[in-house]
Amino acid sequence: MTTIQIFDPALCCSTGVCGVEADQALITFAADVDWAKQNGVQIERFNLAQQPMAFADSATVTRFLERSGQDALPLILVDGEIALAGRYPNRAELARWTDVKAASETQSGGCCSGSSCC
Amino acid sequence: MNFLENAPRFLFFTGKGGVGKTSIACATAVQLAEAGRRVLLVSTDPASNVGQAFGVEIGDKVTAVPAVAGLSALEIDPQAAAQSYRDRIVGPVRGKLPDAVIKGIEEQLSGACTTEIAAFDEFTALLTDTDITSGFDHVIFDTAPTGHTIRLLQLPVAWSGFLEAGKGDASCLGPLAGLARQRAQYEAAVDALADGRRTRLILVARAQVSALREAARTHGELAAIGLTQQFLVINGLLPKEEAALDPLAHALYAREQAALAAIPEPLRALPRDDVALKPFNLVGLDALRHLLVDSASQAECFDGAPVELRAPGLSALVDGIAADGHGLIMLMGKGGVGKTALAAAVAVELARRGLPVHLTTSDPAAHLSETLHGSLEHLTVSRIDPHAETERYRQEVLATKGASLDAQGRALLEEDLRSPCTEEIAVFQAFSRVIREAGEKFVVMDTAPTGHTLLLLDATGAYHREVARMLDAKGAHYTTPMMQLQDDKRTKVLIVTLAETTPVLEAANLQADLRRAGIEPWAWIVNNSVAAARPHSPLLQQRARNELSEVENVVARHARRYAVVPMLKEEPVGVERLLELVAAVSGGGDPDPAAIVIPSRR
Repeated sequence: MTTIQIFDPALCCSTGVCGVEADQALITFAADVDWAKQNGVQIERFNLAQQPMAFADSATVTRFLERSGQDALPLILVDGEIALAGRYPNRAELARWTDVKAASETQSGGCCSGSSCC
Repeated sequence: MNFLENAPRFLFFTGKGGVGKTSIACATAVQLAEAGRRVLLVSTDPASNVGQAFGVEIGDKVTAVPAVAGLSALEIDPQAAAQSYRDRIVGPVRGKLPDAVIKGIEEQLSGACTTEIAAFDEFTALLTDTDITSGFDHVIFDTAPTGHTIRLLQLPVAWSGFLEAGKGDASCLGPLAGLARQRAQYEAAVDALADGRRTRLILVARAQVSALREAARTHGELAAIGLTQQFLVINGLLPKEEAALDPLAHALYAREQAALAAIPEPLRALPRDDVALKPFNLVGLDALRHLLVDSASQAECFDGAPVELRAPGLSALVDGIAADGHGLIMLMGKGGVGKTALAAAVAVELARRGLPVHLTTSDPAAHLSETLHGSLEHLTVSRIDPHAETERYRQEVLATKGASLDAQGRALLEEDLRSPCTEEIAVFQAFSRVIREAGEKFVVMDTAPTGHTLLLLDATGAYHREVARMLDAKGAHYTTPMMQLQDDKRTKVLIVTLAETTPVLEAANLQADLRRAGIEPWAWIVNNSVAAARPHSPLLQQRARNELSEVENVVARHARRYAVVPMLKEEPVGVERLLELVAAVSGGGDPDPAAIVIPSRR
């Protein structure tokens, strides 16, 4: 079974703080993650500010951070390999990585405001 | 004293910095111990002089105070608690992740909330029955957790759901991840707090409108979570006899009595004690013994020359501000130090000099901004209602971010949005609409975001930095909002404080926080100085004497430039009185060779 791991940037203490404007990409992605889970996809998210150990434990993620820095997050691993970085996947991409058929209502996730924040 | 009657096991003293919580907590501890009880005094005051007061080194271990039978004390340093808290989260990954990443995580955990929660973490063991406290009849704290912290700890989802499910849509959970103890222990601690038979909360305030308003807010917030056993102490009241001796004392007395007459409704029902301003320093056991006792006669003799302080006034600072022709002026300081009045004074003076100014305040009372509106050529006034802005912002976030959350997640998000950071952000966002104008005129604000908030905002603006880097390489001109704040030709931060130990310390912390964000405050203003007002009354002279070392401290250790603004007889409302505030110079009169002179460093 395919495992998707999302390494989020440090989404900060107060939602208020980072939410200078609530980032639509994140909201959409949260919904997409729910959708994927409901379809039986194994998907995990790690927040740099809260679960730094998860980042440190993966050599791939650590190397990515060393090379590209945390501004390049999020990083998405599929079965331990880098599948995407710098933006969140959309529903079609999630479907492509797994066996789930993307519904016709496919929404584009992070159409990329460029900002990695929440 | 009412609050000492039938004292329960736990006593918490709360109030904003400088109202005398620690002194009253110490005096209470002494009184109870001398009545034969076994007492543990817990101080979290960063300026703690508990050790000094009792002539013994205390620190973070329970230490018996030899001078008072039955009394032990313990000092918790909130900053150190926060540091060890951060270490618990960051420690395991240090050296494994790049340094820049570690720094980023540490910044996330450097806010006031983290310090709060870390300090509460330390309290927990003291609130539940453990070996540490079992030998004591009373545990006295010179601070209390905020409603926000307690509510957060009460949310079950804060403990389980989010962390385990790893939903990643973060919130104030970051800090909670570093808590050291078991959930059951926090529940027991929160239960103890909400139990009126075990816990009493004593609100300490000065007889000032803003201090009383703040106390009323704390009262409501903590009552709502079950801390209903509350008492009110009004500290440092000027005695009536003193008012006859001096016009300033007379005015102060009248002002204090007026504030008490108009005390907010929720506080009226509380049992209240008034503690008079004392003619002695609250250092040493003897002084503490007398603090809560009505001294029969205030008329102690003071020898020596009257206190005199010579220091630059606000006018000299405005000269420096005016020289740049335009820019953003932000006044920063803890609540109640008089930021709004000083912001108004600076704005009015700039306008009087013919410079275009936009004054924007978050003045809760509104009367100041209303009286200025349309009163002066070149001056525009606008007001932001912090409550309305915060509420609007909360609704906006809940409607967007909250939409996809389940009920528990939503509850957590709602609590997050009640954090002090949220208010700061919401207000700053509202102000930032005006900030743009600072390119061609002066914009004066009575608030500023903390360095911590700016760093977090800037982290979210990483994209802008990236753009800036690329443009810089091509030689293009580009500035981020952060760069504008760091450039003191464009932005001047004025730190406002009072000439008292705790407020100066708090202001120094604000400054350190701004420095972390690469912002160097332009000047300090010591407001409401009694010393600068040259009082005649013995009590006020005593207070003035105490101020001198604090002003010296500000000048020598903290401020690049500074001004001292004397306490005025009347509240500075209206253009004329605000201009008086600017013109007021400490000392005045002829130079007196015996006077204590603090030289300007400029």
